[in-house]
Amino acid sequence: MDAHKLVKMVNGIAAFFEADPDRNAVMESVAGHLKRFWDPRMRREIVRFVDEQGGEGLKEIALLAIRTHRDKLL
Amino acid sequence: MYSVKEPDGGTPRRVSEQLITLEIDGVRVVVPAGTSVMRAAAGIDRRIPKLCATDTLEAFGSCRLCLVEIEGRRGYPASCTTLVESGMKVRTQSEKLAKLRRGTMELYISDHPLDCLTCPANGNCELQEMAGVVGLREVRYADDGENHLNVVKDESNPYFTFDPSKCIVCSRCVRACEETQGTFALTVLGRGFDSKISPGNQDFLSSECVSCGACVQACPTATLMEKSVVDKGQPDHSIVTTCAYCGVGCSFRAEMKGSEVVRMLPNKDGRANHGHSCVKGRFAWGYATHPDRIKKPMIRRSITEAWREVSWEEAIGYAASEFRRIQAKYGRGAVGGITSSRCSNEETFLVQKLVRAAFGNNNVDTCARVCHSPTGYGLKTTLGESAGTQNFDSVQDADVIVVIGANPTEAHPVFASQMKRRLREGAKLIVIDPRRIDLVRMPHVEASYHLQLLPGTNVALMNALAHVVVIEGLHDEEFVRRRCEPAAYEKWKAFICEERNSPEAMESITGVPAAEVRGAARLYATGGNAAIYYGLGVTEHSQGSTMVMGIANLAMVTGNLGRPGVGVNPLRGQNNVQGSCDMGSFPHELPGYRHVSDPVVRASFEQDWGVELEPEPGLRIPNMFDAALDGSFKGLYVQGEDIAQSDPDTKHVTRALESMECIVVQDLFVNETAKFAHVFLPGSSFLEKDGTFTNAERRISRVRKVMPPLAGLSDWEVTVALSAALGYPMHYDHPSQIMDEIARLTPTFSGVSYEKIDRLGSIQWPCNDKAPEGTPVMHEDEFVRGKGRFVVTGYVPTDERTSRKFPLLLTTGRILTQYNVGAQTRRTANVAWHHEDRLEIHPHDAEQRGIRDGDWVGVQSRAGETTLRASLTERVQPGVVYTTFHHPESGANVVTTENADWATSCPEYKVTAVQVKPAAEPSMWQKRFGEQQRAQIDLLPGHGRS
Amino acid sequence: MTTVYVPGDSAARSVGAEDAAQAIARAAAARGDDVTIVRNGSRGMFWLEPMVEVVTEQGRIAYGPVAPGDVPGLFDAGFLAGRAHSLCLGPTSEIPYLKKQERLTFARVGVTNPIDLAEYEAHGGLRGLRAALAMAPQDIVEEVVRSGLRGRGGAAFPCGIKWRTVLGAEARPKYVVCNADEGDSGTFSDRMIMEGDPFVLLEGMAIAGLAVQASKGYIYLRSEYPDAERTLALAIAAARRAGLLGDHLLGSDRAFDVEVRRGAGAYICGEETAMLESLEGKRGMVRPKPPLPALEGLFGCPTAVNNVITLASVPFILDMGAKSYADYGMGRSQGTLPFQLAGNIKRGGLVEKAFGITLRELLYDYGGGSASGRPIRAVQVGGPLGAYLPASRFDTPLDYETFAAAGAMIGHGGVVVFDDTVDMAEMARYAMEFCAIESCGKCTPCRIGSRRGVEVIDHIRAGRKASGNLALLRDLCDTMIHGSLCAMGGLTPAPVLSALDHFPEDFGASRGAKLL
Repeated sequence: MDAHKLVKMVNGIAAFFEADPDRNAVMESVAGHLKRFWDPRMRREIVRFVDEQGGEGLKEIALLAIRTHRDKLL
Repeated sequence: MYSVKEPDGGTPRRVSEQLITLEIDGVRVVVPAGTSVMRAAAGIDRRIPKLCATDTLEAFGSCRLCLVEIEGRRGYPASCTTLVESGMKVRTQSEKLAKLRRGTMELYISDHPLDCLTCPANGNCELQEMAGVVGLREVRYADDGENHLNVVKDESNPYFTFDPSKCIVCSRCVRACEETQGTFALTVLGRGFDSKISPGNQDFLSSECVSCGACVQACPTATLMEKSVVDKGQPDHSIVTTCAYCGVGCSFRAEMKGSEVVRMLPNKDGRANHGHSCVKGRFAWGYATHPDRIKKPMIRRSITEAWREVSWEEAIGYAASEFRRIQAKYGRGAVGGITSSRCSNEETFLVQKLVRAAFGNNNVDTCARVCHSPTGYGLKTTLGESAGTQNFDSVQDADVIVVIGANPTEAHPVFASQMKRRLREGAKLIVIDPRRIDLVRMPHVEASYHLQLLPGTNVALMNALAHVVVIEGLHDEEFVRRRCEPAAYEKWKAFICEERNSPEAMESITGVPAAEVRGAARLYATGGNAAIYYGLGVTEHSQGSTMVMGIANLAMVTGNLGRPGVGVNPLRGQNNVQGSCDMGSFPHELPGYRHVSDPVVRASFEQDWGVELEPEPGLRIPNMFDAALDGSFKGLYVQGEDIAQSDPDTKHVTRALESMECIVVQDLFVNETAKFAHVFLPGSSFLEKDGTFTNAERRISRVRKVMPPLAGLSDWEVTVALSAALGYPMHYDHPSQIMDEIARLTPTFSGVSYEKIDRLGSIQWPCNDKAPEGTPVMHEDEFVRGKGRFVVTGYVPTDERTSRKFPLLLTTGRILTQYNVGAQTRRTANVAWHHEDRLEIHPHDAEQRGIRDGDWVGVQSRAGETTLRASLTERVQPGVVYTTFHHPESGANVVTTENADWATSCPEYKVTAVQVKPAAEPSMWQKRFGEQQRAQIDLLPGHGRS
Repeated sequence: MTTVYVPGDSAARSVGAEDAAQAIARAAAARGDDVTIVRNGSRGMFWLEPMVEVVTEQGRIAYGPVAPGDVPGLFDAGFLAGRAHSLCLGPTSEIPYLKKQERLTFARVGVTNPIDLAEYEAHGGLRGLRAALAMAPQDIVEEVVRSGLRGRGGAAFPCGIKWRTVLGAEARPKYVVCNADEGDSGTFSDRMIMEGDPFVLLEGMAIAGLAVQASKGYIYLRSEYPDAERTLALAIAAARRAGLLGDHLLGSDRAFDVEVRRGAGAYICGEETAMLESLEGKRGMVRPKPPLPALEGLFGCPTAVNNVITLASVPFILDMGAKSYADYGMGRSQGTLPFQLAGNIKRGGLVEKAFGITLRELLYDYGGGSASGRPIRAVQVGGPLGAYLPASRFDTPLDYETFAAAGAMIGHGGVVVFDDTVDMAEMARYAMEFCAIESCGKCTPCRIGSRRGVEVIDHIRAGRKASGNLALLRDLCDTMIHGSLCAMGGLTPAPVLSALDHFPEDFGASRGAKLL
C-alpha cells in the first residue's frame, strides 16, 4: 500500500476529530475509526510506516494516536 | 391513456372527514366532501361520458359531455366541475342530456379524421369510445367545413408523435404538463376555432418539453402517441415493475405484446411516482434490446487477447478456478467483489454473500462508495440509521424546502415535479448550490434564497446556518432536550456559537453574503415544517460525511425530524443505492448496517450460511486499486458497475486494473471496465429478472420479469452458479427465497416478503413486528439510536485548492436525459437531447481565455487533462466550471483527483482545481482512449483480427 | 380670464377635439385673449362633438360641433362671452338630450376636469367614501344591497349580495377587481367614466375595498383604451397624493390601493373568470363556476369583481343613501343605467336614465331615428350576444326582467341600430363568426359550434339543403345554449335565433312565414 496515501487519509480523519478539545478522545476516535473501517493490511502498513519511518507527514495527533493505540490496530 | 384499462374516476380523489350524502339516479351515495359529482357517480358505476376529465388532473369542464341534471338547478351543470352537496339529486341520463351530448359529439367528429381503422389509437381511443357511448349516428355538418385535418404532424420528438389533426383541444396535455410535470411547455395558441395545442410555436424537440410523457399519457386520442405503439400496435397485457434508473424508483406498467415491450407507462398506484414519469423511465428502455448487448459469456487469458465466446459452464468454471488460483498464490484477501446499485437487492445480497462466504473475506464494496457512503456514515452516527428519514409524499407537508447540492429537475425529475407542485402551492425554497440550477427560477417557482457558495465550502456554510439559528435563539430547545444526547449537544452548541462559525466570518470562505445566510437560516428555522433534500453535492467532498452530520445537526436543533413535512432526505442517484447499502455491500458491514466485528451478528450469519466469517473490515473500492498496484489484490468480480469510467483519477484506476490477473465483469455491455476484464458474464436488464429495488425513501418495490433473459440467465442465477463453482453452493429457486433469507437475517427487513409486497404494492423499511406495513417516516418518537447525537463539524478546507496554475474549480453533475456513465441512455434516442458533455464556463472566465461558445477547450487538473466543448453560461459563477460526465470519451474522471471523504473515501468529484484553455485537438488521454476503444472492439467476437 | 372646455376624451378627440383645442389656443394667443382651456370629459352627445363650452356669466354655453375652421368666426362672434353663433347650442344644461337625463353616475362627466381632485370634491366627490369610512363593512354591504344596484357589466347580479359573499369569506388577502374590458359592440360608458371622471371609479373601488375588507384593487383595462389608461394613471397618482388611495384612506387607518393592468385584446377577457386568468398572467380562458370568484377569485383569493359602472355608481349610493338610488327605476331594476346609442342613429351618445324607459323613447326621443333617415328595422341591445329586436318590440320597457322575458337582454346597455337595408341573415352569421373568432376555445360547443354555425348559415343563405340546415342550426343553437361553459357560447345563439324568429324572410322564407 502506498504509505503516503494512507498518511493523507489518517490526517483527514484526525482533522475531523481534532475539533474535540479532549486530546485523548481524539486519539481514541482516530484509532477507533481505523480499526472500524480499515482493512487490516492498511492498518499494518501505517503502523509499519510509523514504526520504521517515523510516520513522516502525519499530523502530530495522528502520529500519537497510532503510537498510543498501536496494539489495537494490529 | 393506459392500453390495459384502469378505472378512471374522472376527477382526483378527495380526502375529507366530512362525508356527503346525495342521490344519483335514485341511488344513495356517500362520498367525502370535495368530491365531484362525476367521481361520486363513478363510485356506483354510473360512467358519465367524459373526454377532458381524468382522475390524474384537476377538473377542467371543457368537453361538455359530462353534463347532468340536478334537481333545483338551472341548466345542465358539468359533473366534473360540480362538487357534491348534501341532499343533491342528480340525473346522469335523460333525453335532453342524450341530445346535448350527441350534439357536442357531432361537433367533435365534424373536425376529426374518420380513419379509425388505421389509427394507432384504434381500440384505445376515448373519443371513439365516447362516440359509441353517446350513440352518435350521423354527422350532419357538411364535409367542406373548415377543419384541422391537414395540419402537419410533428415527429421531432424521438419517442412520440404529435398529430394535431386528431386533436380535440381538451387541454389534458397542457394540464398534465402544468399540474403533473410542472414544466409549462405546452399551451393553447389562438382563440376560438383556431385554438391549437402547441409547445410554444416550435416543434417538440426544440421546445421546453422535457419529454416526461405525461402529455402523451393524458391524451385521450392518437394526437400524442408513443412511436412504439404506432409501430407495434396496442399492447395485449401489462406487468407492474419498477424503473431501473434513478433513486425515485417509479412504479411502471410494462405494456407488452408477448415478450416484447410496447411501452412503459407510469403506474397510477405507484406510491413514489403516483402515475408520473420522466424521459428515462418512460421512454429510454430500448437499451435493453440494443444490438450492443452481449448475449454469450466470453473469456480471455489476457486483456490484449481476443475474446472467445464460451458456454456459461466454461466461463464460470474459468472464473472460479482463477479466483481460487489467485487466493492460493496471493492469499485469501487477494480477491473481492463489487456490487451495483443498478442491481436488485437480491443480486447484491448474493454478491456480498459470495464474497464473505465463498471468497472468505470482506472485500466487498459497492458503487455507493462513490456517491452516498457519507450519507450512511453521517446519518448512522447522528440519527442511528443509514437512510433518509421521510417518504416522498412528505414534501406535500413541507413549508420550507431546502435543496442542497442536488438538482432534482435533472436527476430526480419525478420527485422534482412533486416538489414543484408543493412550491407552486406556496412552500418556500432555499437552494444551496454553486450553480444556478433550474429550480432557482423556473415557471411558477422561485427560490427565496440561492446561496451560491464556492465548491468545497459546504461545511462552512452549514455551520454558519446553524450558528445563526442557535445565536438568534431560533432553535427548538424542547425537542433537543427531549430527543438528543445532552452532553454532545452542549459540546456542539459551544462549538457552533463560536464567532468563527458566524456567517460574517465564513463569508470570505463560502462567498455567500452573510445577510443571505442569516435570512435563509431564519426562514429554515421559523418557516414551519422545513425539509432538507440533498444530493451528491453534499457527499462527494473531502468533508462529505461532515456535511451530512452538519445537516442532521441543523435538522435536530430546529426539531425538523420525526413527522411528515420535515426531515433529512438524501436523493439517491441510482435505483438501488439504498438497497445495495442495506444489503451489506460495504466491507465493514453485514446486511442491515451491522459491523462485521459484532460477534452476535456474525454468528447469526455464520449459522445460516454454514461458514465462518471474517471479523475484520475488507477493502473499499479505492483501497482495492491501491492494493492492486501494491500487488496484494489480484482478482475482482464486478457486477453491473463500471469502475473504470465512474471512479476518479482514471489513469490511476486503469493502471490498477491492468495489474490484476482476473477481472470478471458481469454487465449488459462491454463497458470501460470490461476492456480490462478476463471473463465477461452477460448481464440481464431489469426487464429480464425478478427482484426488488429500494428507492431513496426506503421503499422496497418489486421488479418483475417481463421477458426471458437475453443471455439465458438472470444475474442472480449467475452469482449462484459462480458460488457453486467456488465450492459454496447456494440454494434458491426464485429470488423470493433470497428475500426470505434477507428478512430472516436482517431485523429491519424481518417483515418483508414478496407476498406482502405484492399485497401492499411496496413497503418502506423498517418493516418488522413493530411496523408490519413499513415505516413512511422514521424517528417519530425516538431516534433509531435512541437519543440523537450532535457531532462537532469543524470546517476543514479541502486540499484541492485553486492556484495560479489551476485557477478554476470544476464541479460535476447530471443532466435529465442521460444517466450516469450513460451505458443505458447513450444507447437510446435520448442522445437527441444530449449527445456530448460540455464544459459550462462563465462568460467572464471565457473572455479572459479567448473562449467562445462551442469552442473546444482543454481542461487540465493535477490528475490529468481532457478536452470538451465549452458552453458559455451565467449558471456558473466566475471561477467555477461545470460538466456532466455521461460520455466516456469526455474523460471527466481523467481530471478528478484522488481526494476523498475522510470517513468513507467517497471521492471528491465535486471539487477539482483546473485550468481551461482553448484546444485544437483531443487530449493525449482521449487519443489513447480512442485507440484503446478501437482495439477492444476488434477483440470482440465477430470483429476479430482472425 | 375665460375658461373654455374642450373635451379631451377619446370620443371627442376622434372627431377633431385636439385640433379644435389647438385652434382655440392659437386664436386666443393671437388676439391676446386670456383663455384657459380645460380638457373635460365628453357630455356624451357625440353628434355635437367636438362640443366646446365657454364659462360665462350666464353659465356654460355650448358650441358644436367645432371644426378648427370655425374658430376664428367663433372668436369674431364673441363666443368667449357666450354670444350667438350658428354653432351655439345655448346653455349646456338646457340641451334637451342632456336635460332630460337622470345623471347620477355620470353627474360630473363633462362638467369637471377629470384629473382635478379638488374639483371632484367640490362637485360632491369623496362624500361617499367619507360616509363609508364611518361605517362597518357589513353596513356598507347592506347599504349597497338596499340600493338594488345590480352588475352593470351585463349579468345584473346584485352587487351587494356579491360583496356579502366576499366579506363573509375567511381567506386572505381579498381583492377588488374592476372589469374595464368593455368589449361589447356599441358600448362606451366605461370609457367615458374612466376618461371623464376617473375619481368616481377609484372612490367606488375604495368603498368596495372597505366593504369586503380588501386593500388591493386592480383595474383590468382593455388594451384599446390608451386614453383611459393615461387618464387613470394621472388620476391614481393624484389620488395617492391626496390620500384617496394609499395606506391611510383620507387619513384613516384603512388602506386601499389600485393598480391598472392592461388586457391583450380578447373579448372573452370581459368574462369575469377569463379576466381573472388573464390578470394572473395566464391565457384568458374561462374557469368553471363554482368556485365563485367571490370565494376563489384572483390568485385563488376572495375577489369582488365588478364592472366600471357598477363601482362608479357606489359613491352616489353611500353619499345619498340607498333609497335615493333605489327610488329610480322599476321592479327589480333599480337605479339608472347609462344607455349607449350607436349604429345607424342620428344622435348617438350616452343617455343615463332610470330603468323603465322604452326603446322607442331612446331611439326616437333621444336618438332622433336612424342616421340614414330610413326606417329602423332592428335593434341589438346588450352587445354582440344580445338579441335583435324588431320594431314591434320597441315599446318594451328597458328593465332586466321584462327584457329577459322577451328573450333579450339589456347587458351593458349598448343599443345598436339598423335600418331596413340590413340583411339579418348576415347579422346572424356575424354573431356566429364573432364567437368563432372571440371564443376562448375552451369548451367544444362554443369553439367548434360557432364555426359550424357560420357554415350552416352560409349553406342556408346559399339555399343548400335549407330545411335540413335550418333544423341543424336550431339544434346547434340548443347545444350551444345548454352545453357551453360560459355566457359567450351560451348567448351567441340569442342574436341568431332572434334573427331567425323575427326576420325569417332574410333566411329565404317568404315574408311573414315562420321558419321551423
